[in-house]
Amino acid sequence: MPLLTIDNMDIEVPRGTKVIDAAEQLGIMIPRFCYHKALGPAVGACRLCAVKFMEGPVKGIQMSCMVEAADGMKVSTTDPEAVDFRRHVIEWLMMNHPHDCPVCDEGGHCLLQDETVSSAHSLRRFPGLKRTYRNQDIGPFLRHEMNRCIHCYRCVRYYQEITGYRDLGAMQLASRVYFGRFEEGPLESPFSGNLIELCPTGVFTDKPSRFRARRWDLQRAETLCIHCSMGCNIIANVRYREVIRIEPRYNSEINGYFICDRGRYGFSYVNHESRPRMAQVDGQNLTTAEALRKTAARISDVAQGEGPSAIAALLSPRSSLETLASLSHLAKSRKWKTVSGIFDPGRRSRIRSAVQHLHSDTAISMQDLKNRDFILVLGADPLNDAPMLVLALRQAWRSGAKIAVMDPRPIFLTFDFDHLPATPGEMRACMGAILDSAFEGEKVADEKGAAFLDSLESSSGNEGAHAEMPHRIDAIAEALKKSQRPAIVCGTDMAAEGTGTLAADTVRFLRSRNQEAALLYLMNYPNAFGQTLLEDSDTLTFEACLEEIEEGRIKALLIAEADPFFHYPDRPRLEKALEKLDLLALFDYLPSGTAEKADHFLPTSTLFESSGSYVNHEGRIQRFHPVYEGGTPMLQINDGDHPPRVYDTDGVPGGDPRPADRLIAELGQVLSGDGEVFSDDPWKNLTADIAPFFKYRHLDAPPENVRILPDESSVFEGNREPQSDGDAEAEGLQIIYTEWIFGTEELAAFSKTLRPAEKEPFVCLHSDDAAPLGIGQNDPVRIDFGGDCVLESRAKLFDRMARGVLVIPRHYRLDWKISGRFGGRARIERLRETPGSPSPLEREEQ
Amino acid sequence: MADDKSVEAKVKTEEEKGRLRSGLKEGIEAVKGLYDSYAVTAKHLFRKPITEQYPEDKRKLPARSRARIILTRDPEGQERCVACYLCSGVCPVSCISMQSAEREDGRRYAQWFRINFSRCIFCGLCEEACPTLAIQLTSDFEICRRDLLELVYEKEDLLTDHGGKNETYDFYRHAGVSVKGDKGEHIGERPPVNVKTNLP
Amino acid sequence: MWLFGLLVLLIKIAAILAVVFGTAAYLILLERKLLGRLQIRLGPNRVGFGGILQPIADGMKVLLKEDLIPADADRTIFKFAPAVVASGALLILAVIPLGRPLTVRGYEIPLIITDLNVGLLYVFALSSMSVYGMALGAWASNSKYSLIGGIRGAAQMISYELSLGLSLVPVALMAGSLNLTEIVEAQANYPFILAQPVAFLIFLISAMAEAKRLPFDLPEAENELIGGFHTEYSGMRFALFFVGEYVNMVVIGALVAVFFLGGWHGPWLPGPVWLFLKAMIVPVFMIWTRATLPRLRYDQLMQFGWKILLPVALLNILITGGILVWING
Ligand code: SF4
Ligand code: SF4
Ligand code: SF4
Ligand code: SF4
Ligand code: FES
Repeated sequence: MPLLTIDNMDIEVPRGTKVIDAAEQLGIMIPRFCYHKALGPAVGACRLCAVKFMEGPVKGIQMSCMVEAADGMKVSTTDPEAVDFRRHVIEWLMMNHPHDCPVCDEGGHCLLQDETVSSAHSLRRFPGLKRTYRNQDIGPFLRHEMNRCIHCYRCVRYYQEITGYRDLGAMQLASRVYFGRFEEGPLESPFSGNLIELCPTGVFTDKPSRFRARRWDLQRAETLCIHCSMGCNIIANVRYREVIRIEPRYNSEINGYFICDRGRYGFSYVNHESRPRMAQVDGQNLTTAEALRKTAARISDVAQGEGPSAIAALLSPRSSLETLASLSHLAKSRKWKTVSGIFDPGRRSRIRSAVQHLHSDTAISMQDLKNRDFILVLGADPLNDAPMLVLALRQAWRSGAKIAVMDPRPIFLTFDFDHLPATPGEMRACMGAILDSAFEGEKVADEKGAAFLDSLESSSGNEGAHAEMPHRIDAIAEALKKSQRPAIVCGTDMAAEGTGTLAADTVRFLRSRNQEAALLYLMNYPNAFGQTLLEDSDTLTFEACLEEIEEGRIKALLIAEADPFFHYPDRPRLEKALEKLDLLALFDYLPSGTAEKADHFLPTSTLFESSGSYVNHEGRIQRFHPVYEGGTPMLQINDGDHPPRVYDTDGVPGGDPRPADRLIAELGQVLSGDGEVFSDDPWKNLTADIAPFFKYRHLDAPPENVRILPDESSVFEGNREPQSDGDAEAEGLQIIYTEWIFGTEELAAFSKTLRPAEKEPFVCLHSDDAAPLGIGQNDPVRIDFGGDCVLESRAKLFDRMARGVLVIPRHYRLDWKISGRFGGRARIERLRETPGSPSPLEREEQ
Repeated sequence: MADDKSVEAKVKTEEEKGRLRSGLKEGIEAVKGLYDSYAVTAKHLFRKPITEQYPEDKRKLPARSRARIILTRDPEGQERCVACYLCSGVCPVSCISMQSAEREDGRRYAQWFRINFSRCIFCGLCEEACPTLAIQLTSDFEICRRDLLELVYEKEDLLTDHGGKNETYDFYRHAGVSVKGDKGEHIGERPPVNVKTNLP
Repeated sequence: MWLFGLLVLLIKIAAILAVVFGTAAYLILLERKLLGRLQIRLGPNRVGFGGILQPIADGMKVLLKEDLIPADADRTIFKFAPAVVASGALLILAVIPLGRPLTVRGYEIPLIITDLNVGLLYVFALSSMSVYGMALGAWASNSKYSLIGGIRGAAQMISYELSLGLSLVPVALMAGSLNLTEIVEAQANYPFILAQPVAFLIFLISAMAEAKRLPFDLPEAENELIGGFHTEYSGMRFALFFVGEYVNMVVIGALVAVFFLGGWHGPWLPGPVWLFLKAMIVPVFMIWTRATLPRLRYDQLMQFGWKILLPVALLNILITGGILVWING
């Protein structure tokens, strides 16, 4: 550990630390443009981090980001020579910098501005002309203003090395270097938003919040991204009651410095023009208090008439832990039924098994993934299920890890990986083949391990898919065998029953061989983990709940922050069933289909307007804080004209929504009447009711950044049931519903900002399956689910995906909710376009 | 010994004399001082008062005097303000508020712009901060109102049809963003770099 | 007959009061105008022609103001103190001779309200009355500022009262009487100011100190005591203090005229007019002084009173007495 002196302060740092980082540890922020910890090795492009080395192995003015700390170094950051050097760097950067700070959105939090001011450069001495560039239109998210570039190369290093996309690069030479695309067009990377923060100047600025506000005028607070189960940390920016921008917040365990574009631009559901902001009872606007009273009265009626078990409360994986705790506590204390808000029963059971299998010894965070030398992605599509996972996988790949993906879908990743296009039913066998090939002939010390291997072999009756790819399986097996630190990333979206157990068993098996195997489950919903913890053995599946409603055994349904109409595949049935209810009460903030149908609607505040916590897919509790107090955005109330000259003294316009947990707690209080006390502290209820939270009983609030996982467990589940792809004899292709990065997520579907990036929905099938049906690339197709259920769309054909499956995105613009099933099989045929009649897609848009 | 005593006494009398003399001198000075000051005030009695009879005769105030604020226009008659928030940021009493927006031609402008003159202290910092010379203080100070709300000026009330103290400056001719003219056509710019050729 | 006498007395009192109050009111305007001109300003000029109605406007304003009494004040004393100040000054007027007695239809009407033969003592007695009003008002206000102002006023009054009294001893010696009419008569040939310039100066300075006028306005000292003894006063009660001060100025002017300037003596004009003109000299000078001199420091004030004025006044008595003995044999 080298010991060096910086500005007369001693510090000891690990070998390999750059002087610039050593100084930062001392609290000295050496100015920099090109150096960034997340971008890997420094390139020394900007020359701003110059310091003077007084003693030690190197002497004189050197770039602190390029020099590794060494013993005996004496460094001065304030030496006049260094200061002068840095001042000159700024001056020559400003020679070509345009005079447009006032119309630059970076102004106010611009690194170049800060450094220019702090180097006291205020007068242009250079009389020559300024270099100019033409800008490019680089898509809906980013603005390009190339004149402002200072050639630090951060953007290309990030874009090409970290995200792995190649369409943004450096062109030309010498003083004419240009950062952009070869041809104008939208950036391909779904991580492009991070360029905004990385670029130290205003070359890349945020388009949705363009010309909206200066940093100093924004209300900012730490909050979370809830657009997938990853739980990336973000900072939200609010201006005049409108969320206008999301920025990543550094979290060393999860997202590092970055976030994906879904998280960055999926926020605008909060500002949705038709977001319901008033309580409604049977179509009439009421104050929240009144509506709550009426709801309570209706519930009491039902409870008196039909008994408390005629009332059900739906626990949504989109709600915060607090909301879930309030609702489940209310249901428990009044003996209501609870219903799972994960509508697909298969998905629900996969998530349940994932939650059961995750233990603190095997669970890893996303950043841990980067240090793995072998990663098997099982039944998950990283880019579409949890976008930020791609960056982690790519980092692992860059440091030499082998990545394999076992998934039926066509998978696109920006690095080399082995794709095993196994159908859900084939995965178990495929895994068996891999382990077989890797550890064949090796004697397995552990009895249970051996039993596990046997169970895999016995299940490998289905030779179909992996029979074609023995060489790939061998290569994967080889890498797995050599690996010291393998990891399995397992999806819960479309894999077959038992895949979660398979992943956990495999990890346990590898650990029994002294490999440091680790496990990460993806769950898609932001609080699927927490919601699952709050369910108990009596919690009904949504399917069962529907049946009970149809049979008239459930008469009242309370839903907090969920939209069955967005998720449930049989809309007609759903509609009919909900009509039979005496009371459908919804607590939500989205103008959803359910909101239209609800008898009682109570507006709740979004996560930006309240506080609480979520549990991400690795079981990590994370807290979010209110950014603002809510209310209709100023620009919406006055048509963009100046705000009202006189303010209402009774609250913010549109400020009725309240945090769902508060509303539910109040409902509980109204319901409990005299004598009874309803505890309205969700955290207390949680630590009193739910076993995994017992150990936090002494805390007043959820712990931050703590993983709520049971300790070690090494029992093999040994799920021996053979997997299948359903009724193989039935006609047609196996349907696989899947997530897409843009367009299938519930909140983002209400976000205008994401709209331009959403692709037109299409279905995917293997070219071999398409050929006999006469379906060509991009042909319009009709998918026949049986009965009258028909879906029209366009087909994309792929070679690199499983055969016999039809991949349909749960896109909100695709009317898949008539299919009636969460899976099963369907026939597909080419749709003959009659000339003149609008294509199915055009019709849908109308 | 006697000598000593007489010397001492002599010294004493000398001292006393000195004190007396200086006392006298002081007295004379005091009288003279009194006379001088009474003379000065008496002279003032016959001078013409410098009072200005305000509402009757209004003096023309210097251009740099600081009162009611205006938003000026550039030589082409466009609003100069680019809604950069510098004035609102610097205002010590936070009496400026605005909302920036993008016009169809890409120009940044203030969708609304409000100055609350009942709070403004006419310090002139906003004018100093303004990079486009849009916001300027004028010498019109007669804007008292009984109703505070009447002192809240909106953009319509603030906008003028002239350039105020500077009729020629045009920010967009210097800024380098393509609002007025293409890249390379603004003041002090080279033609844009052609990235698709290697010719110098 | 006594009825007629009473009537005449009442008429005299009414006339004197009217003149004095009118003078005091316009003295305020004069002060503001004069101060303005001395400071190269215009002074009040908005109400009436050249501001002529300003005193009336001020009076109305003051009358209509709310009369505030501090919560912890001694209410009785607080209410009555201003009256003491004003009445003390007014009562002195009773012994000021205004002119030779008038003879109307054979009745001789003396132009004086009461011709006391110890008039001088009466004047001394009453002039120290007004300090009571001030000190009581200050104490009753129950405020730090007022209290400090009151104490300053009392101390100042004690210090300068001495020299004030002593400065008039030579005058009494020369006139050979304590009766004010006789003192005036004694000046038929020449005003005493010529014979007693030192006594005049001492009297003038001490009187200014008694009137709490600049440079001796320490009890008020706006910038340290926010008005001093009348900090807590408002409305008509404040106005009483205020008017008292100006009546006081007029009275001092009249006394100076009587003691040093020959009273009503003068050619062509009737006696009372001469007295009035002479009485106005000192107030004008006080205003001029206000525009010229800054306020003294407290220690300077005391030093001047005790170490200079008092010895000089004593010396003056000695010298006058000596000369008188020498002349009169
Ligand atoms: S990049 Fe920074 S320095 Fe350049 S125009 Fe924008 S704010 Fe100004
Ligand atoms: S565009 Fe920004 S990040 Fe890229 S080189 Fe230029 S200044 Fe650096
Ligand atoms: S003059 Fe001063 S107080 Fe008034 S708006 Fe400008 S900066 Fe604000
Ligand atoms: S500083 Fe000038 S350009 Fe910027 S917002 Fe204020 S008035 Fe407009
Ligand atoms: S930060 Fe070191 S050269 Fe840019």
